[in-house]
Amino acid sequence: MKKSLYLTSSGTLSRDQNTLLLELETGEKRYFPIEQIGDIHCFGEASLNKRLLEYLTQQGVPVHFYNYYEYYVGSYYPREHNSSGFLTLKQAEHYLDESKRLDLARRFVRGALQNLQQVLRYYAHREKPVHPMIEGIAQVEAQLDDAASVETLMQLEGQAREMYYSALDPVLQNPDFAFESRSRRPPANRLNALISFGNSLMYTLALSEIYRTHLDPRIGFLHATNYRRFSLNLDVAEVFKPVLVDRTVLTLVGLRQIQPEHFGEELGGVYLNDEGRKRFLQAWEERLQTTFQHRRLKRNVSYRTAVRLELFKIEKHLIGEKPYEPFRAYW
Amino acid sequence: MYIIMVYDVHVERVARVLKIGRRYLTWIQNSVLEGELTPAQFARLKRDVGKVIHEEEDSVLFYTLRDAGDVRREQMGVQKGEPEWLV
Repeated sequence: MKKSLYLTSSGTLSRDQNTLLLELETGEKRYFPIEQIGDIHCFGEASLNKRLLEYLTQQGVPVHFYNYYEYYVGSYYPREHNSSGFLTLKQAEHYLDESKRLDLARRFVRGALQNLQQVLRYYAHREKPVHPMIEGIAQVEAQLDDAASVETLMQLEGQAREMYYSALDPVLQNPDFAFESRSRRPPANRLNALISFGNSLMYTLALSEIYRTHLDPRIGFLHATNYRRFSLNLDVAEVFKPVLVDRTVLTLVGLRQIQPEHFGEELGGVYLNDEGRKRFLQAWEERLQTTFQHRRLKRNVSYRTAVRLELFKIEKHLIGEKPYEPFRAYW
Repeated sequence: MYIIMVYDVHVERVARVLKIGRRYLTWIQNSVLEGELTPAQFARLKRDVGKVIHEEEDSVLFYTLRDAGDVRREQMGVQKGEPEWLV
């Protein structure tokens, strides 16, 4: 399976010896086997040239950039090599037809809410006081069928998220990582910083996987298609965020693998420092490579593969072969 | 599958074999590379190497393991190369 390459140090990336070369500021040269690379994530300062971009296009490797504060800056999304006019039309049709769009958007939200509950149930088994939040989210889920517009769905999703977030403090019981409330741009405390960083990684993961399918990342269903950016990856991310991002964050904090010294305060916000970012990326990549027994395929698949399979399910839904049933975690 | 590639080829072809190997695997030390490949990638690696070497005097070995978890490596002395995904 192809791997992600995470660059946190600064250097020059180039095509050399027909593969990928990183020359660090120290002058050290590192070659990476292009055949094994699925995508590249740049956190440090990277210099690169068009010759490299041409090579990455040829090899089908997207590159995602993040700024100094770990915010997502943008992606180099190579020319589509998988494209299907038929599927693009179907995708647009499902966006333009109000009832079809609502149906798909509802499926994404349902998947998200089910996985939120699943994460909380995991902690309920560990005798954390989260039963009221699970019930609260279940009640929101019951209202999904009555939602008559995508905006209502978004609101319901927001309500469920809020209830879910109120479970974080009782789960962690760690004053160094108090949650209080969700804050972004900038994140006001450590837990918020971790969630924001994890979410950025989730969005780019979904985008990288979309690149390997026939889907068009610009046409989302729950998140409106607009002139700004990719939106289908946000829809897919919604389903996986609880399972991948939140569990990574909670595990890192719970096992004390991330400590207060791994953060810095800048411009009124809290951000991970170099060491903290490396630890997070390490844990993130490990989670993506973790395998589980897939119920229908009856074989072990990694979470990264699960994201890809999710996109294939969406393709099947769009061409009318099989209605999309979102991924559900079972622990 | 996890592949360890070891080669002993005529000096004129060392650089060419290394260049092909680097596309697929991580350089570990002189004439040794390793990494995780799919069966298809492994087949292509062998095809590419086969085009360059001279059958009568060169030798390239591939050790195959089911996955990276099966590899236990002990090291003495300097570390020259390591498969890394977080730099």
